[in-house]
This record gives sequence, structure tokens and C-alpha cells, in this order.
Amino acid sequence: MLWHRRPGPPAWSAARLPLPRLVPTANDSPPAAAPLALSPGSSHDASHGHAIEWPAERFVGRASALKLGMWLFLLSDAFSFSGLLISYGILRARAAVWHPPGEPEFGIGFTAGLTFLLICSSLSMVLGVSAARAGRKATGVAMLALTMLGGLLFLCGQAHEYFGIVGGHGLVGEGLRLGGSARATTFYVITSFHGAHVLTGVIILAVTLLRVLRTPESRGGIAARADAIESVGLFWHFVDLVWILVFTFVYLVPVAPGVGS
Amino acid sequence: MSADASAAVRKPETGYLVTFAVLAVLTLAEIGVIYVPGIKHGLLVSALILLAVAKAGLVLLVFMHLSHERRGLKIGVLATFLLPALYAVVLIAEAMWRGSW
Repeated sequence: MLWHRRPGPPAWSAARLPLPRLVPTANDSPPAAAPLALSPGSSHDASHGHAIEWPAERFVGRASALKLGMWLFLLSDAFSFSGLLISYGILRARAAVWHPPGEPEFGIGFTAGLTFLLICSSLSMVLGVSAARAGRKATGVAMLALTMLGGLLFLCGQAHEYFGIVGGHGLVGEGLRLGGSARATTFYVITSFHGAHVLTGVIILAVTLLRVLRTPESRGGIAARADAIESVGLFWHFVDLVWILVFTFVYLVPVAPGVGS
Repeated sequence: MSADASAAVRKPETGYLVTFAVLAVLTLAEIGVIYVPGIKHGLLVSALILLAVAKAGLVLLVFMHLSHERRGLKIGVLATFLLPALYAVVLIAEAMWRGSW
């Protein structure tokens, strides 16, 4: 292992984790022919007439299983985007002419605005996570809604960039077509793959927001959903992080003077 | 909630706002650097990559709370970003050495 072992049992061992405990049931003797009625998080120890109460959440090191699972997914998704960006880099490096004549330039200013929009939505997301941990429902709900709005506006901006939905012709109308060149194809594949992630994030945020609104204060309110909100936040920040890299390598670097065209 | 998880909760929200301001400034710097007259291509690309890495690092460490996580997770995440970067450098350099199609 790369980290130094601290004194005491490791975090994942039973000595550190909350142990399941036996709780007495209504009948001390096991029912003769009754079927096992297992409720979520419990099991019936038929030999002793007690139910085993499992802890509500188990931690692996510092992160909960939910957070760790999200991190593992994000790492795999990072490899997906890495593959796309590396293939883009290789195609670009070997192309004699990367920007064929007749293809339009990318709108740097407009895309910079979209980048700033995603950064704003990341801010609202992290403020929402903070509010959820503190149990501030109104603030948390508002921040989640703002994050969703940011994502939807980003998608609208991307649609306008592609098709010119609010005036103009868009890149498609100006001659940048999927399959028309390596530049066009890599552009559309990378940005639409990212756009699909943004759409997924908006949907997940909507579901999380609904769950928060439907969780009464008697069951913990927004604080009870804080882990889920933080996991959604990890996904949203990852989407923002990927866009930072896509904006740099796909939009900015090709515009630099002297870069192969 | 563990003590380490609640440390992330107690992180001042002003830290998030400061990080947001820095990200905005870095984004403006990225836009500005491509319009610097007479800048050499290698220097321009290096500056853009450094700015992008700085922004990505801020999002990872502050917004995603990676700075509060255990070292094992930090190493796993950093390796996931460093290994593809290494592949990119090697493969793109090799592609440039081979020349155009």
C-alpha cells in the first residue's frame, strides 16, 4: 500500500466499522413455519429469535460507498474523454491541413461565455452541497435549481452554436458538417459527448431535487439527502472540469497562430 | 457523519467564492493570451495548458473536495488524470515525428 498504516485496525475492518447488533424481537422463540420476513437492512437469526440490525451506512476509509462509487464511475468516464481527446490530438498532429478552407471558425467569445456559465453552475452546485450538509433546505433547493438552469442554458447555447437556433446559421449551416473533415467530426463527437453528460447531469439533478422536496423534515429533510447531493455534485464538477479541457484543446489551441492548418 | 466528512462541511463558503473568482480570472487570461501579438506558438500552447491544468486542479481540489479525501483516493484520481496526459504527450509527439498522413 502506498499510504502509511496508522496505529490501530484499518478503517475497513470490523473493529472500526459499526457492527451489526442483535435486537430482541417480539417472540423469543423462532416461528415454526412462518416464512422469513426480511425487511431492508435486517435479517432474522432464526436460531436465536433475534433480528440482526445492520448499520445504516458503511464507510470505506473516509468516503461513503455512495461517494466512492461515484468517484470510480468518474475515473472510468475520465478515461473515455481521455481517449477522445488523445485521438483528437493524434489526428491533429498528423494532419497536413487541419482546417480545410471553407469551414467556419469556432466562436471563441460565445464559447467562453458557455464556459463561464458552467463555472457559475459549479459554484451553485457546491453551495447547494454545503447548504444540504447544514440542513438549509430553501438555500439547497435554490442552488440545485440554479445549477439545473445553468446546465439547461449551456445545452441551449450548444444547440445555438450547432444550428443557430436564435438567429444565424450555426456551424452546421456555415459548412462544418459531421463527417466533412477530421476537424468537424472530432469537434462534434467530443462536444456532443460532453453535451450528453450535461443532459444526464440535468436529469439527475431534477430527480435529486424531487427527492429532496419529497423528504419531510421529520425524516431529516435535505440533510438526509446530503450524501446523494454531494455525489451528484461530484458528477457535475467533473462535467465542468472536462469542459475546461475541451474548451482549451478544441477551441483555443487551433485558433493560435501558426498551429497547423 | 465522520469527523473528516464534517470538516468538508465546515469549509467556509467564502473559499468557494474565492475559487470561483480565480476560475473566472483564469478563463479571462486564457482568452487574453491567444490575442497576445507576436507570442510564440510553443509558449502560447504551454500557457494554455498550464491555465487549463490550474483550473482543473482548482475544481478537483476545492469544488470536488479532493483535498479532504484520503491519500489513497487522491492518488487514484491523480493517476487517472496523469496517465492519459502521459499517453497524450507520447502519442502526439510520436504522431508529429511520423509526419502527416
